[in-house]
Amino acid sequence: MAAAAGPAVRCSLWQRRSLRCGPGTGSAPLPARPSGRPAPRAGACPSRHRCLSAGPRPVPGGGAPLRLCSTQAVPQAGINKPVIDRIIRVDHAGEFGANRIYAGQMAVLGRSSVGPVIQQMWNQEKDHLKKFNELMVAYRVRPTVLLPFWNVAGFVLGAGSALLGKKGAMACTVAVEESISEHYNNQIRTLIEEDPEKYKELLQVIKQFRDEEQEHHDIGLEHDAEATPAYSVLKTAIQLGCKAAIFLSERI
Amino acid sequence: MATRWPGATPYSPIPAAKNLPGGGTGQERERKVVSKGNQQYPPLRALQASAVLRRASDEHKKEPLASSSQQHFDSPPAGHQPEQKPQGPHPSYTGQGGQESEDYESEEQLQHRILTAALEFVPEHGWTAEAIAEGAKTLGLSVAAAGMFRSDGSELILHFVSECNSKLSELLQKEQKLVQLGEAEKKPIDEFLRDAVEARLRMLIPYIEKWPQALSILLLPRNIPSSLNLLTSMIDDIWHYAGDQSTDFNWYTRRAVLTGIYNTTELVMMQDSSPGFEDTWRFLGNRVADAMAMSSTASQVQSTGEAVVQGLMGAAVTIKNLAGLNQRR
Repeated sequence: MAAAAGPAVRCSLWQRRSLRCGPGTGSAPLPARPSGRPAPRAGACPSRHRCLSAGPRPVPGGGAPLRLCSTQAVPQAGINKPVIDRIIRVDHAGEFGANRIYAGQMAVLGRSSVGPVIQQMWNQEKDHLKKFNELMVAYRVRPTVLLPFWNVAGFVLGAGSALLGKKGAMACTVAVEESISEHYNNQIRTLIEEDPEKYKELLQVIKQFRDEEQEHHDIGLEHDAEATPAYSVLKTAIQLGCKAAIFLSERI
Repeated sequence: MATRWPGATPYSPIPAAKNLPGGGTGQERERKVVSKGNQQYPPLRALQASAVLRRASDEHKKEPLASSSQQHFDSPPAGHQPEQKPQGPHPSYTGQGGQESEDYESEEQLQHRILTAALEFVPEHGWTAEAIAEGAKTLGLSVAAAGMFRSDGSELILHFVSECNSKLSELLQKEQKLVQLGEAEKKPIDEFLRDAVEARLRMLIPYIEKWPQALSILLLPRNIPSSLNLLTSMIDDIWHYAGDQSTDFNWYTRRAVLTGIYNTTELVMMQDSSPGFEDTWRFLGNRVADAMAMSSTASQVQSTGEAVVQGLMGAAVTIKNLAGLNQRR
């Protein structure tokens, strides 16, 4: 049967990524299959551990390989699901967009004198995005449909503002980070009004990220963002775009 | 997973009814309800049906106080009660200073019980008000209880789908626990999806004769939001237990693919006459294999494309070198 050769072929082909594995599948020896199903076909990955290093299994719809075990899920009972859904979805979209903005800026200004500064801010945004990816899985939130759009739009905004020069890039940073800080503050207020104890972890994360975004904002100001020609126009336009993005990502 | 689906309360509660003096004020209450603008049912009919219901059940339980039936009636806070467990057909009476304070059940719990009881009459009567009426009869309630629901049996079908989804969720959760405890092996993804969809579709087997009727009712515009909601949450559940951790657009692609697999397999099952539905399961296996192949093809195409681009860049650099354009002067 072609399917029997499938797993073996797949295991050898995809050498690139190794699967992360969480607790529970690491050290336990593989027990016999309890339900009387046939033993793994010859040529198929006989041991889970070997399969792990051989590469990811293909998944319908493509994309990142599936983690073999469930992550620590947050119990769904008792939390205000619609509110938390929105918060995590829009924050995830925001960090994703910020990532792309910095990527665009680096593409243009990577080799200039502000390159290292932008790179450092970009690294922090990458950490933020990673954290929200984890939260998204833990709370079982769906990502916004507009992600591909924010992918392109963010990059274009970053590259476009960088083409206006270093000050332009900094002005864009200032505008976006101010918008994001305000937005995080709103969310903190909402969560505190809901139940500060229940959402303690989430509140901590958002507070920390808000502080780091505020830092980026200050770094942007330090680098002469306000000296950009048409600074206020640029800033208003970008902040308007951010507000629209936040509105849409919360809902769609 | 909650058995309630959004927007499906039969009628909104009557908040002011509690404060009305007991006895003979049915008219007042009905007027109040009408003025509140109840949408889903003719409120009079629903109220009267409910009243008949309760009186029938009260007679059945031989209520000592005559006024208790009114008090029963006074406080049906549908869906707003904190208690979640159904109290059983015979609530206990704990008289407190002459007032009846029994374990009443909410409107929603009562409907849940009626619909569950009605399911066993579906193979005979179909997804209709007759089945609901029969179900109400087995609970000792009046046949007029079917008046609480719509006449096309939508609630019965939605209730059934919701129950099946909850059962599937429990099943998947149990399996996951076994895997986490190391007592079972983690299935490969295609096998997991196949088993989950098969388990869910097997729940339709007792009702398979009448299921096409149910599907057509679920496609009525009025029912589409609820049925779509149930379908998407079931698919999301299956992917969650399969270990999906995507946070990008793949989240949508995977669910769309699985929804397609589920719907087509369901339709095949309607027309399947093979013993034990083996044709359906084979079809399901093929579709899942197709989906896996499609995704691996997509990744192969992508990596091939990247390799081609690399090759072209290499060729361009070689040509530039040969033409002497790359030299530094």
